[in-house]
Amino acid sequence: MKAREFMRRDLTSVELDATIAEVIYLMEQSGLSSLPVLDDEGVLVGVISEKDLIRAALPGYLEMLHSASFLPSLNQLTRRLQEMADHPVSEYMRSDVIFVRPDDEDLQIADTLIRHELKQIPVVDEQGHLVGVIRRIDLLYHLI
Amino acid sequence: MILTVTLNPTLDKFYWVDRLPLSLERVEEEILIRASKSSSSAGGKGINVSVFLACMGVETVAMGFLAGHTGQIILRDVLARGVTANFVWIEGETRTNVTIIERGREYHPVKIHEEGPPVLERAVELFLRKYQRMLKRAEYVVLGGALPPGIPVDFYRELATLAREAGVRTVVHAGGAALKAALEAGPYFVKPDVREEPQVAGLPAKTEQEIIAAGKYALRKGVQACLVSHHVTGDLLITREGVWDLEARVPLSKFKNLVGADDALVAGVLYRLAEGDPLLEAVKFGMAAAIASAEIEPKLCLAKPAIEQEMKEVEVVRKEGG
Repeated sequence: MKAREFMRRDLTSVELDATIAEVIYLMEQSGLSSLPVLDDEGVLVGVISEKDLIRAALPGYLEMLHSASFLPSLNQLTRRLQEMADHPVSEYMRSDVIFVRPDDEDLQIADTLIRHELKQIPVVDEQGHLVGVIRRIDLLYHLI
Repeated sequence: MILTVTLNPTLDKFYWVDRLPLSLERVEEEILIRASKSSSSAGGKGINVSVFLACMGVETVAMGFLAGHTGQIILRDVLARGVTANFVWIEGETRTNVTIIERGREYHPVKIHEEGPPVLERAVELFLRKYQRMLKRAEYVVLGGALPPGIPVDFYRELATLAREAGVRTVVHAGGAALKAALEAGPYFVKPDVREEPQVAGLPAKTEQEIIAAGKYALRKGVQACLVSHHVTGDLLITREGVWDLEARVPLSKFKNLVGADDALVAGVLYRLAEGDPLLEAVKFGMAAAIASAEIEPKLCLAKPAIEQEMKEVEVVRKEGG
């Protein structure tokens, strides 16, 4: 089955100048763990995820230690998030976006999600416009 | 692609009851009404139009503002029906509109409409950016329904102007001051909502002559076609080519749920226009879609054969022109 037949036709997204505060608010409201980032023409230019935000807010050494247990408290994280709040998403998004096309087959999409450990993947048309998103659960629901 | 705008979406909640004991004679007793059936679905004029179109296989994108838990339910419903959703999320809770339908009085339902959450300036700005992007891919845009708190009364005029500049035909499916403002942008097609106030842009629209005069006023503003319901089963189509009376030969007793019928009408017209049909044929199909929707308990009739069957019941009489 092709992506267009089971993708979620939800174009919830942010633009390049959206602030981190707006991104967090939209993730909370929409229940999405990552958001596509679009340019003025609606072309997909990046993705921002909860993971990207946490990574940006935590001190660098934690990534090396693979644990947050070394944090004395969450004050540092709070302060860092507050500093980031007014910054544009373009500073923290990933620009090397992995996406699929509407005519890509489910097997190919499953492979991409598993190989890159993605929770969801955007679907874009030939012009680069966002046309939908496929979450891992959409694929599982489709396969059952 | 057909774009629809619902600035104040709603979760339409329906209750069917055997009897409505709305008497205040014995005020010391509380009134308990047991529903024999209930249902809920995503609603608002634009969303209803999108749901109909998606079911007919037309590519459609629904836009507007959603909020809170009710917004999530609406989004889920819209997506499940094959509509592409591009909403701006705002704070608060999207409204719920309740309709109570009493057995035997289906054409006189009791309705409770909430106001909806206020829309702040930043959300309007985000919406306008998304809207202008989507216009680049649209053939028609439908501006439907009431304006939520915080939205300026002339907002439909702004949206219709942007659509005209982008070469997109605008359909305005609204009433009151929102419609009056939108007329200034000369939209392609208007379906004034005259249920609460029998007027179009401040002109009375109760009698047939008043409706025709109001429709001609809309034409002078640049509108190509104006469709106004003059009673439950009758609509007047006013265009530069003439005036037509479309009458459905269906008894009121056949109606089970009138909510959404006028949205089925607009959606039916658009569906057939997108297919390349002439306007009068498209309106006839829209009327049949409205009648077919009113004859069933769900809000919209999405079965094409049932709609085509109703077309036989729609009588068209030319009143002027030709």
